Parts: sequence; C-alpha cells; structure tokens
Amino acid sequence: MRSKALSTVHELAKLDARVLFIGSDLGTGTLQNMRDELPKQFFMEGISEQYIIGFSAGLAKNGFIPYINTIATFLYRRAYEQICIDIGLHNLPVRLLASGGGMVYAPLGPTHTAIEDFSLMLSVPNMKVFAPADACEMEMLLRASIEDPFPYYIRFGKGGEEIVTTDYQFFDFNPKIFGDINSDAIVFTTGILLQHCLQAQEILRQKGVSSVVVHNPYLNNLNLSKTLSGVTSKPIILCVEEHVPRGGLFTQLLHELINLRKTNMEVFQLALPAFFSHNYGSQLEHLEISGLIGTKIADSVERLVKS
Amino acid sequence: MKNFTNLANQIALDTRSLALRGLILDALEGGKRGHLGPALSLLEIIRVLYDSILVHNPKCVAFQDRDRFILSKGHGCLGLYAVLSDHGYFSNQDMKDFCSFNSSLGGHPESITLPGVEFSTGSLGHGLSVGVGMAMAARIRNENWRTFVLLGDGELDEGSVWEAALHASHHRLSNLTIIIDYNGMQASGDLESVVTLAPINEKWRAFGFEVLEANGHDINQLQEILSSPRYGDRPLVVIAYTVKGKGIKSAENSNVWHHKAKISEDELNALRFDLLNQ
Repeated sequence: MRSKALSTVHELAKLDARVLFIGSDLGTGTLQNMRDELPKQFFMEGISEQYIIGFSAGLAKNGFIPYINTIATFLYRRAYEQICIDIGLHNLPVRLLASGGGMVYAPLGPTHTAIEDFSLMLSVPNMKVFAPADACEMEMLLRASIEDPFPYYIRFGKGGEEIVTTDYQFFDFNPKIFGDINSDAIVFTTGILLQHCLQAQEILRQKGVSSVVVHNPYLNNLNLSKTLSGVTSKPIILCVEEHVPRGGLFTQLLHELINLRKTNMEVFQLALPAFFSHNYGSQLEHLEISGLIGTKIADSVERLVKS
Repeated sequence: MKNFTNLANQIALDTRSLALRGLILDALEGGKRGHLGPALSLLEIIRVLYDSILVHNPKCVAFQDRDRFILSKGHGCLGLYAVLSDHGYFSNQDMKDFCSFNSSLGGHPESITLPGVEFSTGSLGHGLSVGVGMAMAARIRNENWRTFVLLGDGELDEGSVWEAALHASHHRLSNLTIIIDYNGMQASGDLESVVTLAPINEKWRAFGFEVLEANGHDINQLQEILSSPRYGDRPLVVIAYTVKGKGIKSAENSNVWHHKAKISEDELNALRFDLLNQ
C-alpha cells in the first residue's frame, strides 16, 4: 500500500507541478526515481516532524500540495499542534501519509503503534481522515485528493493486502457495501480490517448467518443515510476497528446512528484494548488477541445473532 | 563591541513611533487587556519593515509578488496592528475594538480575519518553519519575493525553531530573513534566569546563518541593515536588541506589562501620561 501510494504521488507530481513529496529521513532509495526526475518536487528532510508540518504549510499557503510521509505516530503525536494550527486552522491541502497504521509496528513497541490516530486527527477541524483497505483504493483516493482544498490524514496498512476494492472506479467518500444490507448482521469497518471482515462474512455464510460488510474508508462523515434507509429488518450491528475503543469509527458510527434517529439498533464493538500493549510479535497476533481476525469476528457475529 | 542593549535603552523615539504607541494604547483601552511590553519592544522593527523594506500593498493585500512577513511571536500583535492600521490596512478606529467579539483584531493575529496578516500565530515556535516553507515556495518558482520572520528571544526556547533553522541553512535560503526581538525578558523573568541563550550570535552562526546585530529601536540602523544588498547563499538573522515596554517608562523592562487583563482607567491614564512625558 505504501509503495503504491508513493508511486502514485510520483505519477501525480509528473502531471501537476504543485505536487510535492516530503519525507522525514525515510529509508535510502525511497522514491529515488522521483528524486532523479523531479528534484524540485522532492524533499527528504531531517528527523524534524514539527518543522516538516510548518514547512509544508508554508508551501501549501503558496499554492503547492505537499504529500508528507513518515511513520504515523511521529506525524500525528509528535506534531499535533503544528497539524492543528499550521494546517487545520489555515485549512491547507497538506496530505499526511501515515505509515504503519494500527499495530503494523507491533514488534517495535508502543512508541510506534498508531492506535489512537483516528481520534486525534478527527478532532482537528477541517482535517479529513481516511483508512483505505488496499493499494487499489489508496491509488483512487490519492488521485481524487488533488483538487480537494482540505487537509488529509491517510492511514497506511502494512502492505501486500489482498485487493478487494476493484469494483469501484473512483473514490467518492461514500461507504462501500459488500453484501445485502438486509442481513442478520451489519458489520462496519475501515482500513485493512475490511479483508478480515470479508473472511468473516464467508465463514458466516457457510454457517447460514447472513451479513453485510460496510467499509468506511472516509471517517469524518460516514454518509450512511442512503445505506441504512434500505434496512427493513432489525439486524445486530458490529463495529470492527484497529483502534482504541473511543474516538474512532465506533464513535463516528454512534454519532451517525443518533443523527439518523436509528437509536433502536443494537450496536456492539470489536476494537483494540484501551491501553498500550507491552507485547511485541506481529500485527496479526495482536489482531487475533483482540478478536479482530476473520474467524474471531465471525464467532462474535454468530454469538450476537444467536443470542 | 557595541552595547546594543544600552543603546536601545538610551535612544529617543521620534514622533511617528510615539504616535504608533498611542494607537496601541487605544487598543489596550478598548480591549482592557493585551501584551503591551512585547508590542512596544518590536514596534520599530515592524515599522521599518512596512515603511521601507517589505514589498506590500494595503489596497491589494494578496498580490503574488508581495514579500511575506510572519510575526512568529504572535503575542506582539498590537505592534503589528498599529503599523497595519497606520498603513491603511484598516481604520485606526478599529484598534479600539481590540479583542471584542466581532473584531478582526484578536489577542493574537489571524490571517483569516485580518487581511494583511500573512499567517496566524500565537503558539510560539511555529513561524520559522512556515517561513522556511514560504521561502522554498519562492525558490521553486524562481520568484523574487522574500520572506521575513520575526521571532521573540524567549521563543528561541522552542525546539521547533532550531529544527527550522537547521533546514533553512541546509537549503541555503538566502531569501529568508529572521529578525529576533531580543528584549532580554520572557514571562517569568530575565532570559538568563530562565534558560541561557548566550552566546546567541555564535549559536546562529554555528547553524549556518549570516548574523547581524542592531539597536532594535534605531530606525536608521534597522533600515540600513535590512535594506543592504545580500550576497552569498546563507539566510540572514538580525538580532535586534530592544527594550520590553520601550517608550512608556512604567512598562519598560517590567513583566507586569508582559500581558495584563482588566486594565483600569487609572492604569491606562498612567500609561498615557508616561507616553506624553518622554
């Protein structure tokens, strides 16, 4: 996903001189082709995230569209005030490309795991927050971002995710529906957990439990009015996200349901725990412990539907 | 070496500088609050910039080739407001609405509400990074406008300032000028009692800057330094030695007037008396 994102920025930069890539001491050879071809549009700055956000704001204020990439936590935690004031307050089209969303960097410990990024970034006025599911959706999102004047925070997955969004031709900010909305369960998710939810959907189908997966790559406004207006049954609702329980997709979903007067629905959540993990291992191990892999999600849905 | 601080203390202000201070007191009277001391220390710097250095036009605020000026120490905004008002960016009468609900003049400057303010500031340590980005924008497009960033001396405690300084120097942004309002004080006391900045010139030189010093209340000296032709590829920093509260005896070198709220009529009359009796 990161590789596709960076190559897409390169492609966009070839077409549009306003597009800049700004890295923060990324690995040797990152976007070397772009560095060689478009040296005026490529910046590899030092380990200075606060500066990089302000620098990008100064460029964006003068007509450029900077795409910044570094490890997620270093962006949204380290430079929160710069993001809020320099970018958010001034409403500038700076794109934060956040590597290692959720538990991707689990082996590196809690300083590197981006478990509360949605919460912080959704709190920044004007900021649009995204979690695409695969490289295909990432590319569509970045191509759509060019003409949007708002700032973006985009959470990256680990890379190599199964491509599941090919049915969509362009990014339109709306939820992506996988299945029949009138099912026993509606599973809301975002980011790379879409693939796990689709695995769960297949497991459930084999067990005779119907479910629909609603993927929300755009987290500010879930735009569920149209989707939920077609619901005629009374399904259970499960929100599945790789984030601490508060402030992320679940919180957004509750807001949306209340705004749509859908308060009679039973709503449940699967999320990361509300504490820092001191275990290492792989992202997948952490997802499994939190019940966020396909088999466990299927177990949860089945239990809820049959309870 | 000249003792710039002594010179800054001794220099007499001309009628224009006194009139600008009168506008600041008008704002203080309207808002009954404000950062007086910092506004008076940086006033001559901003006056010289807008009078004779910056390419700017109050009738066409956002024209592309204007020079960019960022007041990174946003709490000194009363000084900026006085100069902008005097240049016709808005009416002198607006100064009296300072900090009122519908005013464009807040306790820190906002580019969204006040045309002429290049970038909103208030939290310290942001302006230089943004200025580096602006200077880079001009370079990428081969445009000749320049970027000026005014920092406070206490603001130099912020690590982000030095992140930006490293990169300004690395990128050899000779189209960037930093001016430091070096009044020697910060909110909780003398600079040196809070955190030692000396030797400030050597620090900036070590970061790769051309360093010049000036009496920050000497109009001619500031004008000469800021308008002198630039050679080489280093960014410039001007350390402007100033007096916090300059021009109002009871506020000079006094942290009571760093920021004050609920300013009474008697206090304001005392300030006006001091201003009239130089």
